[in-house]
Amino acid sequence: MSFLYDEGHHAIATESRRILDARMDKDRLLKLLEQIGRYDEPFWQTATEQGWTALAIPQKHGGLGLGLIELGLVAQATGAHTAGAAFLTVGYGAARGLLDGIEESLKTDWLPQLASGEKIATVAFADASAPLPPASSVRFENGALSGTKSAVVAGLRADVALVWARHGEQPALCLAELSHVSRNPLNSFDNSRLYADLVFDRAPATLVAEGEAARRIALETLAAMAVVTGHEQLGGAEELLIMARDYALTRKAFGQPIGAFQSVKHRIAALYGLVELARANCIHAAASDRQKHFLMAAADVRISATEAYDTAARDCTQIHGGIGVTWEQGIHLHMRRARSLAIEQGNLLFWEDLLVEQMTGVAA
Amino acid sequence: MTDYDSYRAEARSWLQSVAGEFGRDARRGLTEEQDLALGRHYLAKRYEAGYGGIHLPVEFGGQGLSHVEKVIFETEEMGFGMPIGYFSISLGMPVPIIVRFVEDRAWVKERVVKALRGEEIWCQLFSEPAAGSDLAGLRARAEPDGDGWKINGQKLWTSWAQYADYGITVLRTDATVPKHKGLTYFWIDMHAQGVEVRPIKLADGGHDVNEVFLDDVHLTDSQRMSPVGGGFGVAMATLMIERYAATDSNGFGPGLDNLVELARGLEVNGRPALQDGRVRSAIARNHAMRAGLDSITTRAMLSMQAGQEPGPEGALNKLFSVRSRQKLSELAIDLQGARGVTYDVEGLHTDDWTASWLAAPTGRIAGGADEMLLNTIAEKILNLPQDHRPDKGISFSQIVA
Repeated sequence: MSFLYDEGHHAIATESRRILDARMDKDRLLKLLEQIGRYDEPFWQTATEQGWTALAIPQKHGGLGLGLIELGLVAQATGAHTAGAAFLTVGYGAARGLLDGIEESLKTDWLPQLASGEKIATVAFADASAPLPPASSVRFENGALSGTKSAVVAGLRADVALVWARHGEQPALCLAELSHVSRNPLNSFDNSRLYADLVFDRAPATLVAEGEAARRIALETLAAMAVVTGHEQLGGAEELLIMARDYALTRKAFGQPIGAFQSVKHRIAALYGLVELARANCIHAAASDRQKHFLMAAADVRISATEAYDTAARDCTQIHGGIGVTWEQGIHLHMRRARSLAIEQGNLLFWEDLLVEQMTGVAA
Repeated sequence: MTDYDSYRAEARSWLQSVAGEFGRDARRGLTEEQDLALGRHYLAKRYEAGYGGIHLPVEFGGQGLSHVEKVIFETEEMGFGMPIGYFSISLGMPVPIIVRFVEDRAWVKERVVKALRGEEIWCQLFSEPAAGSDLAGLRARAEPDGDGWKINGQKLWTSWAQYADYGITVLRTDATVPKHKGLTYFWIDMHAQGVEVRPIKLADGGHDVNEVFLDDVHLTDSQRMSPVGGGFGVAMATLMIERYAATDSNGFGPGLDNLVELARGLEVNGRPALQDGRVRSAIARNHAMRAGLDSITTRAMLSMQAGQEPGPEGALNKLFSVRSRQKLSELAIDLQGARGVTYDVEGLHTDDWTASWLAAPTGRIAGGADEMLLNTIAEKILNLPQDHRPDKGISFSQIVA
């Protein structure tokens, strides 16, 4: 159900944006693109210091007890800066998966450490090109995992991962510490996301859920992460919209600001529309958490936020002309992030199919 | 349950109680005259039930409630296919505008009540052959004539003028000043001598719009609704009223569930159409867009209920919903393969994809063309510059036609 943000929400949005405006540095982010295994440490320090890691974890587990709405607002601020928020989303996903699981000791052991940021968790659901395959190729047997998980976000740094696996013929969700797992780094177009293939070779793991429960928890966790990522995409798209507008007001050609030409102004106006549709879906989905149509609401977010951010990246670059494609100007930070976020937490193909299955009962 | 929730529930239950008599099924097979008569009957009944003029002041025969109740009722009413189209302009713009701008209050009250009961219909004579999006470029003129005015010219695209008893209009009273400054706003009697209405048949076969010729029509000065030269401001106030009209994320075409049901019975390459990736993608993307528009509408309603102005993003609805309805209608026709060419001339554009497709271009032009909506968003919301306007600042008579 949609709602109007209240004063508390506005305060979270403004405050997280103010802090990131002061602390983020484009040149620092540009350097990270050409290095594998490095991430934006000042951002992560800020995130833990501000309690963003604790935001959506229940109070009894050391968190602040807020939810998707609040975490979404922070993600939106990080998205505007292409800040290294990889751990924020997947850390939340892992915590949520644990919370919904059966194993109480995992909750008491891990949630306080995830809330404080002392430990970093990630989520490893995808096998090759399938965001959440019906049967994972990774097997859980005798308390250990074997197999490979592809392009895991934060895979190069995370201490622990929530893994989508198979236990006999049943799906299983497991938690594995990554100290004994080999991490094969991927060279990617957005290297600060720390993508790695994780190779499990009889790596010790604990069962979080099994069977239908595991499938349901995995899907809901993926949907919740998709909503957080959707806010991040929205923040990025909105930032690009403003950049495009500001540039169109100052750059002159043929004796007038280029924003006076309909080919440019209509492009920006249409982009505004995409941004507002994404925002509307984000607000609706964040407020629909744990409700009946949450999966559909999350799919709506993914579709509209991905379209908004990709389009914003294309059009903002185009409106800037030559300067838009320079390394130094940095619009490509958004262009890259638009695509990496479009893939993380399930690509459009996955979400379109999931949405239609939810609507019609017909699987792809 | 809030007061608004119970208002909605009561409205819905009243609508259900009369749906059999006036709704979609009751209208099937009627001639337009019969349908209009049914519509007048429905309006009288709606007025007696307390749902006529919901947001208009009680002293003019309205219910004295807010825009919130009005939009709630309209939103509920939309699903029933009631015969209200003939009155949508009448009650949408002219009636509220005469309440605001006509001085003879007793006369206004009489008009409002008759219009609310469907006994009289008003039309809006704005566009002309040479003035559509550029409304201020209009040419029909009013000249002083004794105590009143004499008007001449041609209006175009006037909805339901063929049934109208009265109209509101903007006319040029001074061609020697810049175009926006030489306009004056009037109401006219559509039965007056010199008013001639000729229906225009549109691409979908319908003829709800007309051209209206004004030939030495005499108006008294009491029919003037703005200061002389102040007509453009009242015209803008008229168009602003639409901000509080019910919106439809289906773009006034069929719902997405309708497409799903159509696709359920069809095959592509010998497999169920709903398993085809292209069909799934179109359904999913339309769902995401419509859900976004619905969420914007919900937030606008919540803002209004909280006594705040709704956000400017409400302006997106028509632009996105009608454009996508047009493309989705094409897909629906495609899906039916060779049989897609069939056409039910009685089909309504809210239920039938072919009727929806044929009428969709009108939706993208009427009430603000897509290009004008994009300009408005760019200029009013994003503060981008106005287009280059060579006619700016020069007197109307010097503008090159």
